[in-house]
Amino acid sequence: MIAVDALVKGFGKRGRVHAVDHVSFTAPDGEITGLLGPNGAGKTTLLRLIATLIVPDAGSARVAGHDVVRDRHEVRRRIGVLSDARGLYPRLTARENIRYYGALHGLAGPALESRVDALIAALGIADLADRHTQGFSQGERMKVAIARALVHDPEAILLDEPTNGLDIMSTRALRDLLRGLRDQGKCLLFSSHVMQEVTALCDRIVVLDHGRVVAIGTAAELLAQTGETSMEEAFVRLLGTPAGRAA
Amino acid sequence: MSSARAALARVGIVARKELVDSFRDRRSMLVILVTAVAAGPLLLLLVLNLVASQIDRDRELKLPVAGIEHAPALAAFLERQQVTIVPAPADFERKIRDGELDVVVDVDEDFAADVAAGRSGKLRLNFDRSRDRARNAIEQTQGLLRAFAAEWGQGRLLLRGVAPEVVSPLEIEVRDFATPQSSGALVLGLLAYYALFAALIGAMAAALDTTAGERERGSLEPLLTTPVAPLELAAGKWLALCVLDALVVAVTLGGFYLTLRFAPLPSVGIPFLFGFRQYAAFIAILAPLILLATAVLLYVGLRGRSVKEAQANVSVLMFAASILPVVQMFMRRKDPEWLLSVPVAGQYALLSRVLRGDALVFQEWLQAFGAPTLLALAALLLTARLLAKESVLAGR
Repeated sequence: MIAVDALVKGFGKRGRVHAVDHVSFTAPDGEITGLLGPNGAGKTTLLRLIATLIVPDAGSARVAGHDVVRDRHEVRRRIGVLSDARGLYPRLTARENIRYYGALHGLAGPALESRVDALIAALGIADLADRHTQGFSQGERMKVAIARALVHDPEAILLDEPTNGLDIMSTRALRDLLRGLRDQGKCLLFSSHVMQEVTALCDRIVVLDHGRVVAIGTAAELLAQTGETSMEEAFVRLLGTPAGRAA
Repeated sequence: MSSARAALARVGIVARKELVDSFRDRRSMLVILVTAVAAGPLLLLLVLNLVASQIDRDRELKLPVAGIEHAPALAAFLERQQVTIVPAPADFERKIRDGELDVVVDVDEDFAADVAAGRSGKLRLNFDRSRDRARNAIEQTQGLLRAFAAEWGQGRLLLRGVAPEVVSPLEIEVRDFATPQSSGALVLGLLAYYALFAALIGAMAAALDTTAGERERGSLEPLLTTPVAPLELAAGKWLALCVLDALVVAVTLGGFYLTLRFAPLPSVGIPFLFGFRQYAAFIAILAPLILLATAVLLYVGLRGRSVKEAQANVSVLMFAASILPVVQMFMRRKDPEWLLSVPVAGQYALLSRVLRGDALVFQEWLQAFGAPTLLALAALLLTARLLAKESVLAGR
């Protein structure tokens, strides 16, 4: 479970620009929680705060009960992160990329190898596994990066715009994979600026704008809250009204 | 205890990955091979041949003389001194300017007449002193002419019943201790310099790739979400760079060893040996520099906002470091004691001394290891601190 409580993070001179402004929400295990918001809403900053990459100015965030500032090491052992830039090593093979992270997470020997093999099979990248990742397509790169993020069987999985640049088939494959992980009881938190993406996949949606939470709920709850019949209209309304912004 | 072991394991994992990654960077490896490994021995061969050709010139002087028929006594003298007289070409002035001829003696038409009349005979000595290569020939010819004049003068005095000592109260005996060594000195400096150069730039490309490159690729961000701590990451990368740099140095020196041993070298009378013992001493002397150069590269590389910026900063740094031995080469004074503690300068001084065959005492080793090792650790800690800052993701 990921619990975020009144998290604040500012950038610029004296932290005047609040990229994340008193954000609170909970992402339970066995659910997919979506962070939905336009570009610059603070989604990536929020994910980086939870991933212990940056330190909040105020508030707190916990992953499986561990504080992201005080128990940084414990948090890192429990999260798998797919960052916006996939960040693979082009001169290493797909398998070596995945193995590197597995080793850093303390896996070794046959346990590591069988885990890597299992992920390669699950993601359907067996024919790519022993090629250097240089020249991989967006979809192939994403699959390797996902496998790498999952190599230590993390409790919580953070994905920043995972469907960016993917074709329809890859997107569908990714959705199936994420649902499978949810059914295993994992806590999934993913960000997207594509509304269809979030509604198609998420059990719970956190709508962000200008670093603040505008609304939280299931798709149905958001529709009811705004009195709209389509998610797109509901989304526009949530982002557009001052009342929505204050919520 | 087990957490310390896990930390060490992670350092090893990072180091191994970085090494594999670096070795697969074919282009960078090729650049290293060409600049550090191949260029050194090639340059060495070139310099040795140059030195050898100079020595050959000194040994048998071929002296172009114009109008030798006017001075038969001079011709006889020169022949006795084993000098081969060749007729000077008509356009010898141009040939001297172009560097084709070193020195030409030009006998005045009226030489015989002047001498017969009791006046001084005139000779013109033509040369271009700005040419280093010509210097030996010039000095040799001047000496020969002076000797001829002295012999002739003494003969005249004897005819008049005067002892030659009357006009030459001073007898100067020249003993030059430098001769073959001075030509070898250039080779000495070159060898030491190239070894230093290899240690400085051996890991440069890999260091940039693993710092600024890692960030630019976007692989630093996910890496920092794994349990690897900043110090472990810095240490792992450092270790890999050290191994790589040490290999480059070892191969470069190996190239020198093989060149000096097996290449068809002209007999220059090199006043030193570069055998296995010198090879080992070189590696030992360069070890602290390898530690330091890689740690500094790591820090400077990580501070650059982009690979390009890091490259520019690193180039400035490397230029400054590699100019230091050149300054030393031109300083003719004996190195001061404290110089051994200065990174690069200290190593250069010690390398030169090993080549000269001087023994090094323990305290000098300590001095040459101390400062670079401490500085390397400081740079490593600074790198770890930088990696722990969130600003590292954006490049400061």
